[in-house]
Amino acid sequence: MNLRRTAATAIAALAAAPLVVMVLPSSPASGHGTMSNPASRVYTCWKEGPESPDSAACKAAVAAGGTQALYDWNEVSLLEAGGNHQGLIPDGKLCSAGRDKYRGLDLPRTDWPAKSISAGNQTLTYHATAPHLYGKFTFYITKAGWSPTTPLRWGDLVQIAEYTQNNPSFSWNVNVPSRSGRHIIYSIWQRFNGSNEAFYTCSDVNFGGGNPNPEPTATATPTPTPTPPPTTAPPQPGGTWQAYTAYAVGAQVTYAGLAYQCRQAHTSLPGWEPPNTAALWLQV
Amino acid sequence: MPHLVRARALLGAALLLAAGCGVTGSSDVTAPATGSRLPPATTALATTAPDGTTYNAADVMFTQMMVAHHGQGIEIVRLASTRASSADVKTLAAAVEATQTAEVKTMSGWLRTWRKPATAAANEHAAHGGMPGTSNIEIRALKAKTGDTFDRAFLNMLIAHQDDAIQMARAETAAGANPEATGLAKRIDESRTAQIAQMLTMLGQG
Repeated sequence: MNLRRTAATAIAALAAAPLVVMVLPSSPASGHGTMSNPASRVYTCWKEGPESPDSAACKAAVAAGGTQALYDWNEVSLLEAGGNHQGLIPDGKLCSAGRDKYRGLDLPRTDWPAKSISAGNQTLTYHATAPHLYGKFTFYITKAGWSPTTPLRWGDLVQIAEYTQNNPSFSWNVNVPSRSGRHIIYSIWQRFNGSNEAFYTCSDVNFGGGNPNPEPTATATPTPTPTPPPTTAPPQPGGTWQAYTAYAVGAQVTYAGLAYQCRQAHTSLPGWEPPNTAALWLQV
Repeated sequence: MPHLVRARALLGAALLLAAGCGVTGSSDVTAPATGSRLPPATTALATTAPDGTTYNAADVMFTQMMVAHHGQGIEIVRLASTRASSADVKTLAAAVEATQTAEVKTMSGWLRTWRKPATAAANEHAAHGGMPGTSNIEIRALKAKTGDTFDRAFLNMLIAHQDDAIQMARAETAAGANPEATGLAKRIDESRTAQIAQMLTMLGQG
């Protein structure tokens, strides 16, 4: 099939027939990858089937964050990470790489499907759908005494191996330390020499023997996420434009000295200022 | 239109874009020290368009991809106009449709000015996973839902879609040379971040 013509046809079809759902064909090597052994949470849930997962944990992940996260199992990444993992990813969001799309993976549960594992030499494997050259792979495990009811924090992890490879094989022999009960093996694949992108994985493993009781303060203090202030009452006619304000069609505002009239009802947002959104604001 | 549907190829279709697509990367093969921020993976040489503006390969890739991505977003939000049960969800969906439709027109204009095709060649992004996509399976599943169940599934789908847009925008901000494109990327980052926060609040998760 001529993929280029199909793509062009898709664009034309979108313009001409609004009811057609435009779905672009992707190249055969789609996405990048995730840990397959021990399987990451996203890999496990994808294999269960996004539309009807089997495990309670995967069902909860879909309920919390939707199915797209699982269809895009090989893309739990930050395009511009550039090594700044702890700066970009808050405690409690390590499994999702701080991406709201993948927030279902952050659920602190004791029933994530887990691979039985023992201490000692283990082969860790990545399923790389796009096996890029030049990668630094860092593997961590949760510390002894960690409880799976605690949202995963950077301080819960200890590094167990790191490889810098110009032509990665995506399989490594790693010495896994002794642990008891449920733990997480966490990996970071940082690309270099051509990309700042990094991939992140949480793999649940079970050494047997049980975990300690959860900490008294089981829930880590979440890093504040920007939450919009409550929608305000309609502003005074002719007042200055403000973000997070509900504007009805016909509302008048000023912005940088110019007057605008609302042409599409909306709650205003940063990035949707009147000069930049002719679809929302008519300059009058 | 079955010839457009490659459901199998699209399962797992994901956000692809690595800055550096089609452009020579830096020659330094030494991995950075842990925690150090890499310099932009590529700030490719800029070309001057007939109208005097400058653009580089990152600008072109961002624009081509974002036009396609916007198209998918528009199709997603159109579903809400008749199916959503919440008035707030409908209002947001309509505003997203209006703003993204306008952005598509703007970006398409840049591609014409730069004399670049509306879409990238099919194999140009093979190295990093192709185009972002929402498969027909997911769209069908969403259409089968009603009431509050539809609203929640719709919001989850749109959050995922806009989260991908934010990643693409940040790659453009890091590597683009064209001020209009990097300016739009910054506004996409801001507005979609705010949209996601708003949608998480609607889901009771914000």
